[in-house]
Amino acid sequence: MTRPTMFRLAAGLTLVLTLAACSGGGEAVDMNGEQNGDQEADGTAGGTGGSDGDADAPAAGGTLVAAIAGEPDQLDPHVTTAYFSFQVLENVYDTLVEPDVNLEMQPALAESWETSDDQLTWTFHLREGVTWHDGSDFTADDVVYSYNRIMEEELSPSWRFSSVESVTAVDESTVEIKVGSPSPNLLANIGGYKGVAIVQQENVESGDVTTAPVGTGPFSVSDYTPGSSITLEANADYYGGAPQIGGVEFRFISEPTTALASLQSGDVQWTDNVPPQQVASLPGTEGIELGQVGSNDYWYLALNQAHEPFDQVEVRQAIAFAIDREGITEATMFGNATVNQTAIPESSSWFTPYDKYSYDPAQATSLLESAGVDPASIPMEIMVSTDYPETVQAAQIISSQLSDIGINSEIKSLDFGAWLDEQGQGNFDMLMMGWLGNIDPDDFYYSQHHTDGANNYQGYSNPDVDALLEQGRVETDEAARKDIYDQVATQIADDASYIYLYNPDVVQAWSSDVQGYEVMPNRAIRFRDVTLG
Amino acid sequence: MRYVLHRLAQSVVVLFGVTVVVFLIVHLVPGDPIRIGMGTRFDPEIYEALRRASGLDRPPLEQYVSYVGRAVTGDLGVSFRSGQPVTHLLVARLPATVSLAVVGILIALLVSFPLGIISAVRNGGAVDSIVRAVSQLGVSLPNFWLGMLLILLFSSTLGWLPPSGYTPITEDPVEWAKRVIMPGITVGVVAGSILTRYVRSSVLETLSMDHVRTANSKGLPRRLVLSRHVVRNALVPVITVTGTQIAAILGGVIVVEVVFAWPGLGLLVYDAVRARDYPLLQGAVLLIAVIFLLVNLVVDLLYAKVDPRIQLGGDP
Repeated sequence: MTRPTMFRLAAGLTLVLTLAACSGGGEAVDMNGEQNGDQEADGTAGGTGGSDGDADAPAAGGTLVAAIAGEPDQLDPHVTTAYFSFQVLENVYDTLVEPDVNLEMQPALAESWETSDDQLTWTFHLREGVTWHDGSDFTADDVVYSYNRIMEEELSPSWRFSSVESVTAVDESTVEIKVGSPSPNLLANIGGYKGVAIVQQENVESGDVTTAPVGTGPFSVSDYTPGSSITLEANADYYGGAPQIGGVEFRFISEPTTALASLQSGDVQWTDNVPPQQVASLPGTEGIELGQVGSNDYWYLALNQAHEPFDQVEVRQAIAFAIDREGITEATMFGNATVNQTAIPESSSWFTPYDKYSYDPAQATSLLESAGVDPASIPMEIMVSTDYPETVQAAQIISSQLSDIGINSEIKSLDFGAWLDEQGQGNFDMLMMGWLGNIDPDDFYYSQHHTDGANNYQGYSNPDVDALLEQGRVETDEAARKDIYDQVATQIADDASYIYLYNPDVVQAWSSDVQGYEVMPNRAIRFRDVTLG
Repeated sequence: MRYVLHRLAQSVVVLFGVTVVVFLIVHLVPGDPIRIGMGTRFDPEIYEALRRASGLDRPPLEQYVSYVGRAVTGDLGVSFRSGQPVTHLLVARLPATVSLAVVGILIALLVSFPLGIISAVRNGGAVDSIVRAVSQLGVSLPNFWLGMLLILLFSSTLGWLPPSGYTPITEDPVEWAKRVIMPGITVGVVAGSILTRYVRSSVLETLSMDHVRTANSKGLPRRLVLSRHVVRNALVPVITVTGTQIAAILGGVIVVEVVFAWPGLGLLVYDAVRARDYPLLQGAVLLIAVIFLLVNLVVDLLYAKVDPRIQLGGDP
């Protein structure tokens, strides 16, 4: 081999490897996130809205083309954890119960259910006459298979079954779940998202489930072009009635400006990949509808209590007073979020009113004084992730607000893989991240704030909170349970275990031809009731 | 033929080296594929189970040996993220990648040859200045910005072309052409600008050679001098650069793929890096190495065709 040839090969490989190394090192260029448009494409598509909004309006009963921000990693609902997968799977699979638009659990594959007097046995009565996409009958055995698969193989959603001791089929259409302790959150755990969907054994064992899943839902997967799109076709035998549209094509468009241009040109009819800085300009655009509702997601700061002086509650509270949540929300989310000092949004029945913290640098300074801590001596590396650009922007604002009270900070931006590593090893002073898609209050608090919680990276420990969290798991009286979580939420915020920032909005846009679509606060994308005008 | 076989044998050695380097690097980069796969909600028991299932709990040397053992039989393993065979994932991206490379390089060649030659012939003139300025601009234009501009003009404003996506040529050639043209131009402008500069300087160099002066003084028509004596001799370095450009585009052009939602290799590699999907990453780098080796082989064979003075196979 000639020398130049070697050189060229080396140069080519270096390109690829640098890419790998960069991501590890910290300054990866993010090209994925839903929000990246705000840095790179500022305003480029502004003002061109809807010039030919309904040029290619499909006929009624046609295929709806939806642009989502990335490609599903795979379509096995029990294995994937990617939101892009669940956007598709929401329309393919069913769960025993499912959340409605208020995130209350409603019948789905189970028509009704009851619990025994000791609260340890749940009996679900399944809908009859439901069939799989391949025409075979759906039975209680499918439910038993699905839940046992998750538990025995310890797949990603298995934490949701931690209280479940056994799942058995009483007859063809009755399933019995025995739990070790009363489990008021069982419905949310088996219905909260499609990761706990009922799958077909044959489809799983053949391995086809990763690309050609067979479900019972309103649409079946008919075509998958890797890197490009997934096409679903309407399931005429769907138990809830055949969808009125013929099918849905999910197209993967990661660049928000392109997604919006595609919507405006009529190439796609729905997208959730809207550049955040353009949301405000969309209402009133001819031919385009904008849907915006508050979500159950939340973004927060956590201080590492293993690092002094963050073990002192006054210091953590001082930082909670030193930051301007409104300013952060406006700058990072362009106002498409609601400021919140606890985790759960006001729209939820589990909301706890709480507003102890305000933007008050003087209060922050006096708290630091009473703790006897010199702000200049506080080590403050703010760890954020380039895969979530809002955290990088927020960190810049937080850094400047902290300097107002004399705390010098540095920002460490990592790609998400490296970020998770550092979090796991406790290598951070403060971090910013979000929790997405939680429904039951136990999801919001236990893992994050219980002394033994698997995600309590900040090292918070309060015996009162631990006791309350354990009670909340087994309290079946709804009012008493609400009271427990009100106390939990208040104590956690008082102790500044997390410093909560905001609940982002779900923002989606669609062509005026699309009718009957409803935005869900848990970001579930349901096309079963949609018509195309 | 012997030369080709010899080169292919060498390539195998190089590829083996590539597997070692790539294996080391992907495992040394911080970030744990299992943790990433689990998302934010960590659970120690689930983590251990997933780790066992992926084979990552085995000693690295054992992992490497079994990887290479399977790779020689064409089995590149199964992607962590997607649970699908790596070869299948890579092959699925080839049609779009090849489409973009062919169209992009065609556009680049169509632009760069006329411009480069005119510019060299009119060295120092107004045309030359314009060509040099334009090619300088083309090299430094951000892909991202150029792509967006095209979308805004041809899709959002004029409505002539679909803004994004890919249709296989076998399915609908017209739709394929409509969708490949904008990413093709974006790729072609950059590659074409680089090529123009090489064509220009190479032609310029050849123009000052003795044989050209001889041809000119013999009174040969200028056109004939250019085509027979100048361009042909100027081709060798241009072929080299063209080869590098083709290989680079085939290896994936992430930014263009992102802007036009183009299902090429670049985006696949990018996602694999982010997820630390070791099997997919190793497979993709191996494929890119193969592409570079093949393109280089073709380039070297072309040298001999274009310039008979170059002898192949005379390895010391």
